[in-house]
Amino acid sequence: MSDIDIKRISYLAKLKLPSEKEEFYSNSLKDIIKWVDNLKKVDTSKTEPLHNVTEKTVSIRNDEVSKSNCVDDVLSNAPERAQNFFKVPKVVE
Amino acid sequence: MSNNWEMVIGLEVHAQLKTSSKLFSSSPNQFGSEPNENVNFIDSGMPGMLPVLNFGCIEMAIKTGYALNFKINKYSVFERKNYFYPDLPQGYQISQFEFPILSEGFINIDSGDNQKKIRIERAHLEQDAGKSIHDIDPKYSFIDLNRVGTPLLEIVSYPDLSSADEVINYMSSLRQLLMYIDVCDGNMQEGSLRADVNLSVRKKGQELGTRCEIKNLNSFKFIKQAIEYEFQRQINIIDGGGEIEQNTMLFDTSTGETRAMRSKEFSHDYRYFPDPDLLPVYLSQEQIDKIKPSVGELPQDKLNKYLDNYSLDKDIAKIIITEKQNANLFEKMISESNVKPKFIAAWLVGDIFAFIKENNLEVNSLNDKTKDITDLLRLISDDVISNKAGKEILPKVLNGEGKPSELVKVLGLEQVSDSGELEKIIDEALVGEEENILKFQGGSDRVLGYFVGKCLKATKGKGNPKLINKILLERLNKK
Repeated sequence: MSDIDIKRISYLAKLKLPSEKEEFYSNSLKDIIKWVDNLKKVDTSKTEPLHNVTEKTVSIRNDEVSKSNCVDDVLSNAPERAQNFFKVPKVVE
Repeated sequence: MSNNWEMVIGLEVHAQLKTSSKLFSSSPNQFGSEPNENVNFIDSGMPGMLPVLNFGCIEMAIKTGYALNFKINKYSVFERKNYFYPDLPQGYQISQFEFPILSEGFINIDSGDNQKKIRIERAHLEQDAGKSIHDIDPKYSFIDLNRVGTPLLEIVSYPDLSSADEVINYMSSLRQLLMYIDVCDGNMQEGSLRADVNLSVRKKGQELGTRCEIKNLNSFKFIKQAIEYEFQRQINIIDGGGEIEQNTMLFDTSTGETRAMRSKEFSHDYRYFPDPDLLPVYLSQEQIDKIKPSVGELPQDKLNKYLDNYSLDKDIAKIIITEKQNANLFEKMISESNVKPKFIAAWLVGDIFAFIKENNLEVNSLNDKTKDITDLLRLISDDVISNKAGKEILPKVLNGEGKPSELVKVLGLEQVSDSGELEKIIDEALVGEEENILKFQGGSDRVLGYFVGKCLKATKGKGNPKLINKILLERLNKK
């Protein structure tokens, strides 16, 4: 099993991990992966990959507009609001 | 010495599809609305909301498949591309990864005097993100999610392009095709069509170098500038003994320079996986075939038709096919009149386009004037009025100031084509010109021009020049 890069994983998940907790979470993740790795015991060399168990196709709709007019509801979750914009700490890449 | 270096370029073009609603929600797909006006609970990433695929997007993808010579896949899968950014409320973009809807296409572009085939690896459907506005407040970014969920078709070429000019030709051919099949409005300023440029350099004939990706270029001018700058930047690094780092670059439009964009501390890892909210897309051959007739004539079909059936000059034909609305206007005039297509084409790319440009009009705005235009062209080609008089009347016709035949009368521009009347004028003009007549008989063609001018003047410019020419020659040869 490959090693766990806990710093990278917390970065990708946008989680701040105190350094004293790194080992704990690293070990927890290792245990999870070990458990999932049980699947590797199954011989799949002669099995086609199955992407979907139902073999049904995706639900579709026609290209028609319906307007929700819910800008206030949507913005009620904003950390801050300025007119009808979300206002967030500056993020520039 | 940049002479020994060549650039290798692949393009990722994002085309916004011209649907009415978004890819997975029924919010309007509309540019220029009030902030967050076109956002519903799906677009804003509310938990528990389920995306439902807009089949209009699939139809447009299939049309594109036909126009760009793609293999149209009967099986494609939407996956989640995970990353955090304030203008992406879901925390992931729904895109296609392992199984795109289109694969292995190509288009032919002009390269110098030749055509070059540019292979296209794939095209897939995905959601656009929202917009962050950084220049309203020094400490905060303002987020408008209207664009979230807008359908994009990302078209990924192979690295077959080897100059800025080729890239521009490829982009404009793509734009032209997408506009012809009516899946994208082609408005680069509004971001309907934007390109990421992947560029590496190598010494001629050597292996591929490390590439850098310049993100989000939305004008032909910037694409050219960015490519030229990045080409030189990479050469300078290698010539200075350095190595190219694979990087994502931003093009600064104010300085004309590229600079690295993403933090390099950790490489991105999008952790793609099939979106559990969306089953795979299975298309039947019947569904695919049904779309084919809506593709219509493509620019190349029109070009061939204009050259073969209408005997247009290639340069003129190419101007007409640049945009579908030009071609539509041209073909409407042909179908409504019996004026020669070649004659219509010459006036169209000449005085008519000049008028459109001068008055800042849409080509489409002349669609209801085609009958008047061809009536006028008929008068010119029948020699009822002169070419010069035609040029004078045309703007008035295009401005809707009257019918061509009325304008001709009101302005007194009807040509004198009565040979009896012209003969009289010519005979008078030749009186006292014995010396010049001798010169003509001695072989001086210039004298003929002088006589034609004199006669035209006598008719106040209304004499039919062709007829004057003919009668003059008869008279002079008899003397």
